Amino acid sequence: MPQSTKIIKNRIKSVEGTKQITKAMELVATSKLRRAKDNMERVKPYFESLRELAEDIMEHNTDFSSPFCKGDYEKPSCHVIIAGDRGLAGGYNANLFRSLEVKDGDFILPIGKKVTEYFAKKNVTVLTNAYALAANVRSSDCMQIARLLANEYKAGKFGRVDVSYTKFVNVLTFEPDTEILLPFAPNEEREKKAGVLTIYEGGVDAVFNQLIPQYISGIIYGAVTSSVASELSSRRNAMQAANKNADEMIADLTLKYNRSRQSAITQEITEIVAGSEN
Amino acid sequence: MSEYRLKIVTPDRMVFDSFAERLVARTQAGDVCILARHTEYIAPLAIGEIKVKADGKWRTASCSGGTLVVTGGETTIVADTFEWSDEIDLERAKRAKEKAEERLKNNATEFEFRLAELKLKRAINRINTGSKF
Repeated sequence: MPQSTKIIKNRIKSVEGTKQITKAMELVATSKLRRAKDNMERVKPYFESLRELAEDIMEHNTDFSSPFCKGDYEKPSCHVIIAGDRGLAGGYNANLFRSLEVKDGDFILPIGKKVTEYFAKKNVTVLTNAYALAANVRSSDCMQIARLLANEYKAGKFGRVDVSYTKFVNVLTFEPDTEILLPFAPNEEREKKAGVLTIYEGGVDAVFNQLIPQYISGIIYGAVTSSVASELSSRRNAMQAANKNADEMIADLTLKYNRSRQSAITQEITEIVAGSEN
Repeated sequence: MSEYRLKIVTPDRMVFDSFAERLVARTQAGDVCILARHTEYIAPLAIGEIKVKADGKWRTASCSGGTLVVTGGETTIVADTFEWSDEIDLERAKRAKEKAEERLKNNATEFEFRLAELKLKRAINRINTGSKF
């Protein structure tokens, strides 16, 4: 069977080629993941202190009102959606999209090429496509996004803003999550602190209203870094699985190849022996 | 002189987490100086210079907005950007300044105009702080 040995040999070669690619992708994802995780840790103190600050202000001042604390559920919502730029990352993008609750007529602000593609044919308004590459979003971009969202929210374009991203728990676990940005509400589980008399430069309202865009930007940046880390981790796991499958396939095919070669040799010998006996 | 805990955080890193004697920051209502045992205080920051005296030495930095919080004897600056004067990339700031000026000339929409204006302010602030060093 020289024909079939050749076919098997070709298949082994092609699987080996694929394995090389998946191996390289795994290594790339691993090295990028380390940086992404560091990034994620660095953002944490920033938005945590902002959140605490905004909550403190809300709790200790009963006589203030801000347009950022009032929501309107009749109006369309605005969703900031953060996913990947590329596929081949296991269920990373699909899992996030499955968790979304976007209604017709809502606004979206996509971050990541896959989000833009996913919503291209849907009945939603895209607020801006300027931040289509998730890997390139920096903190200054988040600042601009936050200002844009805060302005449109104040102008009454939408009654709610939330952000959907993939939460990075550890290298094996990441889950899609949605957090409400506006209207701003303090976390209920938080322990109450005694009120202190504080001087607010320019008044409570002014301080709070300028804090909110900063807070939104912090949350979005945090969500982006967490999503990027999840994407890389997810890609690494997918590629690891692909490598394992390729190894198994190669072992299987090699066995088949050896068998078919052996049977070809045996046949030849039989033929020679048969010929010489005559 | 007595010291107090000062923390400076930006989205990208924890810039400073140590003890300081004195801090001069530009809030939207003007410059303020924070010494130890300051009362509880919150102020929005403007684009401007921030000076910190720690270990007997003054350091200058450029800040492009954020919030200054004094609470429980601790001071925290949550800044959009914060760069010590020796970290400022002057070339980049100059390029940003030119770009912003260009944009201001080609009358864009109001939103873009305001954006360019802010960019210009930030660039000028960086150049000022950076060239003093």
